[in-house]
Amino acid sequence: MTALLSVRDLSVGCRRDRAEAPALKGISLDVKTGERLAIIGESGSGKSTLALAIAGLLARGAKVEGLIGWKQSSLQSPHSFAPPSVLPDISPTRGEISSSAAGSPHATPAIGESGRDSSISPQVGEMSGRTEGGAVERRPFHPRDNPLLGRDIGFVFQDPSSSLDPVMPIGKQIAEVVHTHLGLSWPDSFAQAKTVLDRVRLPDPEAVLHVYPHQLSGGQKQRVAIAAAIAAGPKLLIADEATSALDTIVQAEIVALIRRLVAEDGMTLLFISHDIALAATLADRVAVLRHGELVELGETDQILNAPRHAYTRALLDAHLGLDAEPLLDRQGASA
Amino acid sequence: MTVLAVSSLAKRYRRGGKPFAAVDDVSFEIGRAETLALAGPSGSGKSTIARLVLRLIEPDAGRVDFEGADFLALSGAALRARRARIQMVFQDPLAAFNPRVTVARVLDDPLRIHGIAPRAERPRRIAALLERVGLDAGLAARAIHEISGGQRQRVAIARAIATRPTLIVLDEAVSALDVSVRGQILELLLDLQRQERIAYLFISHDLGVIRAVAHRVVILDAGRIAESGDARAVIANPRSAIGKALVAATPRLTRNRP
Ligand SMILES: Nc1ncnc2c1ncn2[C@@H]1O[C@H](COP(=O)(O)OP(=O)(O)OP(=O)(O)O)[C@@H](O)[C@H]1O
Ligand SMILES: [Mg+2]
Repeated sequence: MTALLSVRDLSVGCRRDRAEAPALKGISLDVKTGERLAIIGESGSGKSTLALAIAGLLARGAKVEGLIGWKQSSLQSPHSFAPPSVLPDISPTRGEISSSAAGSPHATPAIGESGRDSSISPQVGEMSGRTEGGAVERRPFHPRDNPLLGRDIGFVFQDPSSSLDPVMPIGKQIAEVVHTHLGLSWPDSFAQAKTVLDRVRLPDPEAVLHVYPHQLSGGQKQRVAIAAAIAAGPKLLIADEATSALDTIVQAEIVALIRRLVAEDGMTLLFISHDIALAATLADRVAVLRHGELVELGETDQILNAPRHAYTRALLDAHLGLDAEPLLDRQGASA
Repeated sequence: MTVLAVSSLAKRYRRGGKPFAAVDDVSFEIGRAETLALAGPSGSGKSTIARLVLRLIEPDAGRVDFEGADFLALSGAALRARRARIQMVFQDPLAAFNPRVTVARVLDDPLRIHGIAPRAERPRRIAALLERVGLDAGLAARAIHEISGGQRQRVAIARAIATRPTLIVLDEAVSALDVSVRGQILELLLDLQRQERIAYLFISHDLGVIRAVAHRVVILDAGRIAESGDARAVIANPRSAIGKALVAATPRLTRNRP
């Protein structure tokens, strides 16, 4: 499998209370085309920072070093008129390209935003010059190679309200993504919006086109946010704690939805979670982050059954499953 | 001995102009040093029951008996005295405080308000409370925004036990904690329960956590009790549709154990 994107020596510093706190320290990993990669870690591990860096959503003030390189053919041409499921590969070559300095300052995560013009980053990170798969063609940074949020990358946040406009009907919000990124006419964009709302299994998609976010439950809003994220047919879907605010039953439904959509569209998935058990139900590979460092990366089966790092083992042992020995018994207490 | 008995509790709200039952005919009891868990999907009425038990809101129908007395009939000094014996710990209870407030101040409040210790004695009490929840007494001088989430939850527990309660209502008290910290907080709660004979009304959406610490569980669906019983028995073999759905939706770690 080729790499959809390569992260090399990525370090991100965030200013917090005037001190420079490193959020990521020298992360290197490849995301393979078509794989489901989980990134897990506890609070402060840097997992969301990594997701935001890949999506080009880091805050303007973030101090970024290193490189995020994209396979050129994973990026759509502007105003590609192809339906999202049959996007042409722009380039048939296997060459990888350094498309953007990490943390190109897209300002806001709003869906449908075209961050392109403002996204030319002056700070191109240093290249390491090597990747897992072999040689990298070193090419000058060019804005056309920049992956675009909404078009090349779908991003689903923990709080669906953060990516939905409270005063715009759902249908319009999704149609706008389609119109902006695929260049379809408005009627066609609305038709496409209805199709994706149907695909995320919202009851009565025709009616949902006209409702506002506040009229939906948390789980329904997250389905809408996923619909908006996939509406333009991105190659990469990033779900950052996308189910953490939902109850167990709705969480399982959303995970099943993500699994199905990723399989149907052949998307690559980055699934960010604090929950190793949940991540393992979905992922082909798992990356474990701690204090901004990559502790371990391996096949899900290896991570669960033969973790190499003590921290991974500790995370697994801390999981309270339905088959774990109750703490009550361990302490020998009774009512 | 029964600490809390709730019978035929009901609470209605309006939604879109129409009344609906957030809590509908709910009855249960909790014994001394016992943990009763409330489980159920979002909106099933768990937090509403917590608020009713704490008398933060009034029910439309039903009874709440606490330590053998009709809790809803109490008022004035009698209510205040009884209230000290029911405490609560929520998801991030100190988030509501001014972040500059010190740990000592957070723990001083209940000791002062409930007249538990005279001013001169309070610093010693505060140090003892911190040590009781596994924190260094030196933490008293720190601002609450300077301590970690796990430490904050320990301070919240210290605050709850300051008045020597017989019942603590915990509403998603460990849900926001990292798993490594969560285990330690659960151990602390179990230890306090054994030492001080405290009963817990333990609300969680996580059946794994409930199974680890609760003696019995009540599973709610749309404000009504769907089923209840021994926590492990119910989770191993749920009978209600909602119980089955909750168990099925809980992620499992499939490790090939040796
Ligand atoms: N003050 C209120 N006014 C109107 N409706 C309310 C109010 N408080 C709660 N509700 C409604 O009552 C129902 C039960 O809510 P409650 O907060 O008890 O659920 P819960 O089981 O705690 O859910 P969660 O797991 O999401 O915390 C919900 O439908 C909720 O919207
Ligand atoms: Mg609640």
